[in-house]
Amino acid sequence: MSLIKVPSTRFGEQEIEEEKVIRMPEGMLGFPDKRFVLLTPPKPGPFLWFQSAEDPNLAFVVVDAKECVPELTFPLTSDEFQKLELDPERPDLIFLLVVTMAPDPLDITVNLQGPIALNAEKLIAKQIVLDGVNYTTRHPFFAPAARQAAGRDTA
Amino acid sequence: MLVLSRKVGEVIAIGDQISVTVVEVKGGTVRLGITAPQDMTIYRQEIYLKVQQENKQAADWNLDDLERIAALAGTGEKE
Repeated sequence: MSLIKVPSTRFGEQEIEEEKVIRMPEGMLGFPDKRFVLLTPPKPGPFLWFQSAEDPNLAFVVVDAKECVPELTFPLTSDEFQKLELDPERPDLIFLLVVTMAPDPLDITVNLQGPIALNAEKLIAKQIVLDGVNYTTRHPFFAPAARQAAGRDTA
Repeated sequence: MLVLSRKVGEVIAIGDQISVTVVEVKGGTVRLGITAPQDMTIYRQEIYLKVQQENKQAADWNLDDLERIAALAGTGEKE
């Protein structure tokens, strides 16, 4: 098992087993990077870091869709299924939602329109693009109730 | 840019694997039917650009942001 060093401007240099590098042949839309690592923050919580293994500056905060919108399903086309090299019998599939920060932390959103589909077994990922009313790019992460309780939502 | 005029029901072939059919023209909107190989992804361009733009914005964050949201999510306020 060989360790590789992944420099990161936010988290310092991380040592990762090479086998844990996620391949993303088509990258994140708008970015050239093809290799990422998924880092777990020291404090437990729903948020993970999706750090580029090629650009120390590029990292996304992501959250498992099951933790956030368990009721929502994300359809894959047969082509996407194949590109992710998923096992048709037992697809080990996780959807990660990209978090967009906001000045007020209660206003952070997740992108339901462009989730990252991840083959958790083979560590191949692809950002898919979905069309439909359920899939907005800015879905509030915190429920309106929580926002109201904090007095931030008067609507 | 190549510009072609087509009537409803007429087709444009792009190579031998892609065809675009004009299905309907109504009130300033053109409905197109597209046949293409499975491995080609077809999006309405504005959706693609929207996700791309959201990615750019999502990539712009710092550790303070993460500290603050992690503190909130830890209090059970999460959806």
